[in-house]
Amino acid sequence: MILAIESSCDESALARFDPTRGMAGEWVHSQIDLHKEYGGVVPDLASREHLKNFFPLLEAAGLSAEPGELRQIAVTHGPGLAGCLALGIAFARSLGLAWNLPVVGVNHLRGHAYSPFIDLHQRAPEAYPQAFAELLPHLGLIVSGGNTILFQIDTSQELTVLAETVDDAAGEALDKGAKLLGLPYPGGPQVERIAQNGNAKVYAFPKAIAPRNERRFSFSGLKTSLRYRLEKMSDAELEGALPDICAGYQGAVIDQLVGKTKHLIQAGGYRSLGLSGGVSNNQALRAAMQGLAQRHRMPCLIAQPQHTGDNAAMIAFAAFADPSGLASEPFSIQPALRLAVS
Amino acid sequence: MIDLLEQLKHGIRSKTAAETEVLAGRLVTYLPADAVLALHGDLGAGKTTFVRGLARAWNIEEAVTSPTFNLYTIYHGDRQLIHLDAYRLESGADLDALMIEDFLKSPWCFAVEWPERIPDALPEDTWHLYLTINDDQSHQIQLR
Repeated sequence: MILAIESSCDESALARFDPTRGMAGEWVHSQIDLHKEYGGVVPDLASREHLKNFFPLLEAAGLSAEPGELRQIAVTHGPGLAGCLALGIAFARSLGLAWNLPVVGVNHLRGHAYSPFIDLHQRAPEAYPQAFAELLPHLGLIVSGGNTILFQIDTSQELTVLAETVDDAAGEALDKGAKLLGLPYPGGPQVERIAQNGNAKVYAFPKAIAPRNERRFSFSGLKTSLRYRLEKMSDAELEGALPDICAGYQGAVIDQLVGKTKHLIQAGGYRSLGLSGGVSNNQALRAAMQGLAQRHRMPCLIAQPQHTGDNAAMIAFAAFADPSGLASEPFSIQPALRLAVS
Repeated sequence: MIDLLEQLKHGIRSKTAAETEVLAGRLVTYLPADAVLALHGDLGAGKTTFVRGLARAWNIEEAVTSPTFNLYTIYHGDRQLIHLDAYRLESGADLDALMIEDFLKSPWCFAVEWPERIPDALPEDTWHLYLTINDDQSHQIQLR
């Protein structure tokens, strides 16, 4: 049994994972309600809350005194907010010392990379190694407020980054677009909601700033083009056009994500497609990625909603499924850790 | 040749992102060893582009991306560069809670976007740069 600890940003979370049976439990001290009042992630609350949160979480996980069946402790060591990471690591080390258990550091982004496979394991733990091997090489897309990364896992389970954003992340592009439109932060989900009633073809936004064969995403120009467009509109015009603008803007973000993914699929030999991170909950993006996978006759694995944000389940799972990505003690806090670095 | 700082005080026009990066790169020789740089300007004014220029001048090769969601990014090059987006901070106390100072290694440069969110946390010798967008869509960068 693995106990995982996640505190890279504003969520304190624990998970217990049994390699022979699957996820045994997940406990998240969701601070969303607390944050809504303040409009976003408030780190002042967050970093102090982690300390307070972990003990009740540990109790909820049935681990207040004895390690029981635990064999290993896994903790996020980056990327994330240095102070928040430090608290989680200190907590993990304390438990490791008290219970005489090994502690491993997990790369948060590798957790996201492997999160679409949690369900595959859960359905048939014994068959997982074979089932996973059959999905390789795998092409995965991580999209969140802070990251936009296309990566592959090859048949020897080596993970390589294929494309990353050079400016804004996809989720950030949606949030910033929402801000320009006067919607409250974080506005990505609101853009999605309003876009449902809009026609993406009415307002054209630059589809792909970076040529499709270039290994990078760029969303910053999109935000600029929205700003130009809004400058030419009156408030009344904007109100009527809002659904179409949201649809066009979101469509341009998704087109770039899916276009680059498609280009890489065509380049070669992948046997599965993955989608994870907070923005993977965007229904239009999910549908576009599923359609793409279907056209190329490959399975599309999408992380379950509870595993798309910051969560400990993906950290526990990566500790099991991605041994080459782990850092063993003594590991350091790495606020700017990259995806492929192990 | 007119001193760059004198020019900046009057405001320098930049027509492209590349020009903004070059300008930031020229500024680094004027910055003291440990400098706080407040970058004032609206969405799309070129704040992150400016920070990218600083990074390149200090031989930081990696992608310099917006820290809005992650709050801050620490880069290591000839100097340590901390790129903070204060947009979601309420006050200087929030900045303290991030414990960034525990990770500072001199010489460093602290580049702050949305500095007006945390006026109480900025030292007196902070360099204040104002980035604005002209009617012709070129950008203006001014030191005040």
